[in-house]
Amino acid sequence: MILRTHGLTREFGGLVAVDDVDFSLGDGELCSLIGPNGAGKTTFFNLLTGTLAPTRGTVELNVDDEWVDLTGRPPHETATMGLHRSYQITNVFPTSTVRENVRIAAQAHGTDSHKLWRSVQSFDRYYEEADAILDRVGLSGVAAETAQSLSHGEKRQLEIAIALAGDPDVLLLDEPNAGVSSASIDIVVDLIEDVAQDHSVLLVEHNMDIVMNVSDRIVVLNQGGVIADGPPEEIRDNERVQEAYLGGYERGEAA
Amino acid sequence: MTALRSYLRRRVVLVALVAFLGAYPGLHNLLVSSPVGTELALVLPRVETMVSVFYFGLFAMSFDFVSGYTGYLSFGHAAFFGTGAYTVILVANGKIPFLASSTPFMLSLLLGAVLAVMLALLIGAVSFRLSGVYFAMITLGFAQVLYVFVRNWDYLSSNPRDGMSVLEHPAGFEVGVPGIDALNLQIASADFVGETISMGWIQLSAAEVSYYMVGLVVLACYLAMRRALRSPFGRTMVAIRENEERARAIGYDTFRYKLGAFTVSAFFAAIAGGLFAGYARSVTPENTFFFLVSGDALLAAILGGFGTLAGPLLGRLFHESLSEFLSDQAGGPHIDVGQLGLLPYLRQTLGESTLATELYNGFTVGEFVEVFVNGHESLYLGVLFVLFVFYVPNGLLGSVQDRLGGTVGSELPAAVRRLWGRYRTELPTTIRRLWGR
Repeated sequence: MILRTHGLTREFGGLVAVDDVDFSLGDGELCSLIGPNGAGKTTFFNLLTGTLAPTRGTVELNVDDEWVDLTGRPPHETATMGLHRSYQITNVFPTSTVRENVRIAAQAHGTDSHKLWRSVQSFDRYYEEADAILDRVGLSGVAAETAQSLSHGEKRQLEIAIALAGDPDVLLLDEPNAGVSSASIDIVVDLIEDVAQDHSVLLVEHNMDIVMNVSDRIVVLNQGGVIADGPPEEIRDNERVQEAYLGGYERGEAA
Repeated sequence: MTALRSYLRRRVVLVALVAFLGAYPGLHNLLVSSPVGTELALVLPRVETMVSVFYFGLFAMSFDFVSGYTGYLSFGHAAFFGTGAYTVILVANGKIPFLASSTPFMLSLLLGAVLAVMLALLIGAVSFRLSGVYFAMITLGFAQVLYVFVRNWDYLSSNPRDGMSVLEHPAGFEVGVPGIDALNLQIASADFVGETISMGWIQLSAAEVSYYMVGLVVLACYLAMRRALRSPFGRTMVAIRENEERARAIGYDTFRYKLGAFTVSAFFAAIAGGLFAGYARSVTPENTFFFLVSGDALLAAILGGFGTLAGPLLGRLFHESLSEFLSDQAGGPHIDVGQLGLLPYLRQTLGESTLATELYNGFTVGEFVEVFVNGHESLYLGVLFVLFVFYVPNGLLGSVQDRLGGTVGSELPAAVRRLWGRYRTELPTTIRRLWGR
């Protein structure tokens, strides 16, 4: 295991957005997190990365075979410890070049960011890492363009590229396919499968075809709580899951 | 030697600009005494004006350093300018414990800068809990508190509301390497205090000596800030400006970087304030700690271009030249004859009969000039400010950079080379064609 939560809960006033979630992510696993809108998937991500502090419960990350408590740590600390995320709505550095977008993310994992007396060009390793990542996600051709000038599909690739910088242990991908046209959806799906080769991935995704195809395991969230957890075939036939997605109607009725 | 040559070649625009500024005082004298001298004196900034463009430009650049590159508007930046300025005068008046009045100016400059850094740590530690307009307002609040404080603190002078003057340091303040007399020159706005140089045919007034010495310090500070902005640290500042949430998510403790940028900028703001105090030899709360001082830096940054570093200096030059042009005064007591604003120039050159000519319904040319030119400097500046925000939102330097597609230093030589290449290939054919005909 690489990441686990215990009794993770977040309340907003009277609303329980994430309700007592015990979750674990295996080393090298590609686990999908699904659930209807408002099930608490993004809130769960925000709790893992420290963007939100949990009301109760713990988040732990396995660093070199030791469990480190991440609960309540700010996002920049969880990031440097190896937990990276991408965003549902493209969240990059718009007027910087594509290369700089990834380079600055790589630099965050070095020890040189405070050096204000040396030229950025004397730190080749961050440029090299950025170029290698851009090559991997297929953006080498547009490395010199500004991020805001990319197509939507390319922005989704850049979103993942930034998350890849600094070689994280766990990647949290929040709907990497959001808004991508069906023509270019394969590029992103291939990319997800590619990065899952050498990272543990937690994927939020709405497209069931993709989820069933790429996942090792699927966790279903509804109204903040886990209602199912298992391999794709099992989830497909799970009655509670179908109920959650169909809004509580009888199977015959909905069909 | 080749290393130096390649260093200079990569900075050819900077070198050319510095060379031009180095020649400017002589050039100015030459042009002003030419046949069209009166007209040129009208548009060319005086050397005295340039000194204030330098130190205030440095202040505006330091404002741009934090505001233009991290996106946090430091509306209370005057507090750091004031700290630098007041420190210099307090040291000179022997008001700082353990420091003699004769302490080298360069050291009191540094002391002011260090004090400003400490102040920035305090103000920043509180203010960076907020963002956007709230950050701007709280820094403004801190600066105004300090403004009221220095206006009322009797220790500073007998009448703190009117500020302080240098009382115990009769000679001009020396800029240079402390301790080595030969490497120091005095700065002051008046000949009887400052240092004049007369070597053969080179004659430099106190203002001209100040021009070079203040200019050198400003140049050094500019280069230091430029390096900082092109460092890993500077890139992190830009990432914060571009998207602070993502910067945090990829692993930056943005609070620390913002605070770092703020203190660096406070350091240079205080150097600017110290240069001003050393040159003017007196300060008031109104021209140091007052919020309109920050406002002038903002104006310079908008005119010159936010997030361009050198732009604000250009913006200040534009602002100062324009107010000098529109000014109704012939200048201070030590200003040469012939260096006039537009109003005295028009009065002088149009002549009595033209001025008395009736334009419309008893409204004469003279009255027209009085109404539209006399004392409306700030009005025109305000109109210009509005026009800039609408039509040149990226400022003078920012627009040039957009046109060139990069910084002037890296793109201008390339653009000139392209133009020259085309000219060289096309010119011979054009000549041949003309010749053939």
